[in-house]
Amino acid sequence: MMNTSNTNALGIIFPNAYDELVPELTSERLMASIPFAGRYRMIDFVLSSMANCGIDNVTVLVRENYFSLLDHLGSGREWDLTRKNGGLNIFPPFAQKNMRVYTGRVGMIATIMSFLKSQKEKYVVMSDTNIAFNFDFKALLDTHIASGADVTIAYTKEELPDSIMNSEELNKGRYYTLDLEGDRVKKIHINSQEPGVQNFSMNVYVFEREKLIKLINEAFMGGGVYMERDILIPQLGTLTINGYEYKEYTARIGSLKGYFDENMKLLENENLDALFGKNPIYTKIRDDNPTRYVNGSSAKNVMVADGCVIEGEIENCILFRGVKIGKGAKVKNAILMQDTVIEAGVNAEYIITDKKVKVSEGRELKGTDTFPIFVAKKQVV
Amino acid sequence: MGKEMIAMLLAGGQGSRLYALTQKLAKPAVPFGGKYRIIDFPLSNCVNSGIDTVGILTQYQPLVLNEYIGNGQPWDLDRLYGGVHVLPPYQQASGSDWYKGTANAIYQNLSFIERYDPEYVIILSGDQICKQDYSDFLRFHKEKGAEFSVAVMEVPWEEASRFGLMVADENGKITEFQEKPKEPKSNLASMGIYIFNWDILKKYLVEDEEDPTSENDFGNNIIPNLLKDGRKMYAYRFSGYWKDVGTISSLWEANMEVLDPENSGINLFDEKWKIYSRNSGMTGHKINAGASVENSMITDGCNISGAIKHSILFAGVKVEEGAQVEDAVIMGNSIIKAGAQVKHCIIAENVIIGQNAVVGQMPEGEESGVATVGPGVYVGDNAVIGPNAMISDNVKDGDKQ
Repeated sequence: MMNTSNTNALGIIFPNAYDELVPELTSERLMASIPFAGRYRMIDFVLSSMANCGIDNVTVLVRENYFSLLDHLGSGREWDLTRKNGGLNIFPPFAQKNMRVYTGRVGMIATIMSFLKSQKEKYVVMSDTNIAFNFDFKALLDTHIASGADVTIAYTKEELPDSIMNSEELNKGRYYTLDLEGDRVKKIHINSQEPGVQNFSMNVYVFEREKLIKLINEAFMGGGVYMERDILIPQLGTLTINGYEYKEYTARIGSLKGYFDENMKLLENENLDALFGKNPIYTKIRDDNPTRYVNGSSAKNVMVADGCVIEGEIENCILFRGVKIGKGAKVKNAILMQDTVIEAGVNAEYIITDKKVKVSEGRELKGTDTFPIFVAKKQVV
Repeated sequence: MGKEMIAMLLAGGQGSRLYALTQKLAKPAVPFGGKYRIIDFPLSNCVNSGIDTVGILTQYQPLVLNEYIGNGQPWDLDRLYGGVHVLPPYQQASGSDWYKGTANAIYQNLSFIERYDPEYVIILSGDQICKQDYSDFLRFHKEKGAEFSVAVMEVPWEEASRFGLMVADENGKITEFQEKPKEPKSNLASMGIYIFNWDILKKYLVEDEEDPTSENDFGNNIIPNLLKDGRKMYAYRFSGYWKDVGTISSLWEANMEVLDPENSGINLFDEKWKIYSRNSGMTGHKINAGASVENSMITDGCNISGAIKHSILFAGVKVEEGAQVEDAVIMGNSIIKAGAQVKHCIIAENVIIGQNAVVGQMPEGEESGVATVGPGVYVGDNAVIGPNAMISDNVKDGDKQ
């Protein structure tokens, strides 16, 4: 456990950001509540990282499809965010006359302006939930404070994934890349098509709270929608905007295929250690019993959560909590979410099953390496 | 408003027959079944039976137990009125005393019970593995119009003389109590679980305390006194799984029975009667490419590269390549290094078994002892630990014990 003394920053999380990149998984939920890595939801990573760094005043700005997230978060106890001062705040959109549901950060932050003004923390840390990480926000804050910058943006150095570059729909998930001179951000590109390694923004930002309030107010009054397009890019000359390279492990969800691959990467022990080894990642407790391997089962290169019963064969799989694998069933290269039931004799490869899917006895279900089959929530195959 | 029934859980037992496992741990805090501790069973039974007020009487090595119970949240026992309370002996104006016996432990906490003014008090034992619906037991108690009821199990006649026995008529009314008799008149063994009407409990505890010759024990003093006075006493037959895990071999056996829920009757996979526990918060367990796992239970945080057969692994256990684990109970965060052989044994928490070390052996003929390695012990490379061994200190490389 790292330093958990209070940090002089509050957190704002945007759980709906990039919902549109994985329509299969977000038809009934949002990015933040997509199950990941066997027993977590995407929001667990940013929420735990914040809690571990002493950021214990965290606001989640939900927009739509958020029932599953409310159920998951509850009062925030699992993340130690049930606090009298601060703690977890979930702000649903105002259902009020003459108010619309905002899609951009500017409008969304504007809806909590009176809350933001009344807080005491000096800094604000913002994040989306499409990246699983074990982020040391304290180091980011320290760097931000030492640099004297107005804004710090965390980024990774990586090639842009095909899935978002070649997206058919222009509006599918706005993403940002940075041109840097030293640490200073010189240019912010929207939906860049540049090949090769880019400074790929994580959409993790640090602002001074007072400054953020001023910038958002100005932009909102002027009809601004997107923080990057309507605040940061126009003011690159006047604001000091710094980049902060994040070098630790990240798993960024950009498509269903990307989701499959990022899960599978965690079957490598060094990746698993890199993501989970540093500080604990908390999640909602289900009180499952340990997983039981019954006689005649076999398991090779798998990550399995509690509450499963394995009677068949599994290889290169991620099993979430409460999955049942029937006798004689063979499942390879698969991600099986909570309470999936694979009945006896099933033969399945390259599949992703959402929660509570049932694959009936003897069925054959085969996707491919490049195109895993997805079975939606509660479907019976 | 008074509570209908509150529970008092006797958790002071030293568990001296568990030796190395309980040197720094109260018996109810001993890990069990992959992710539980023994006390999870009575606590989960309480909350599943609708009892929301539990006093836990601790005395011996309470540190781990206290921390584990905390505010009772994992069992849903963090309540505004009621909830779980750990009750160690405390200093009183008239002096302080350790709990002298089971009855005295409750006597010293009469004021705790008074706060809730219950109609009934159920006395539970913190060292048994049992899934029981106490609300059925209470219904029986009320239907019989009893003042005292005791849960009993039918045991084989040839083993009856090892138990405290209730002799009862066809109606369940208790007529006689025999403590470990040579010639048993009954095969109904007391499970050490009692329901008292609160006024009766209070009266008899106060009277017992005034008797200087009393051992202040429920079995030896309170029950005989109730009988003597002709109180309405009934025996409630329980037929589910019940195991006193007071010895190394019974603890090992009960763990092995968890692996065979179809036949043993202990099913931890029952959605309707969940056993709650404090969570390790680790990731899902990982079974690597070269590993093999047969008929075992594995929980969060384990990382397996060796061969696991008919074993129970607790959270965070690592088994390296070429290691063999069979008929073993391996508690939290222990590491079995490459090539080690760990068989027919109990390995406590935070143990390291060195490379190619051998711990325990599968039963051969007469020799069927369960080797035990206590918490935090380091067993050196190539060391050999025989069956029946009880290890509580580090073992050097190559040593034999």
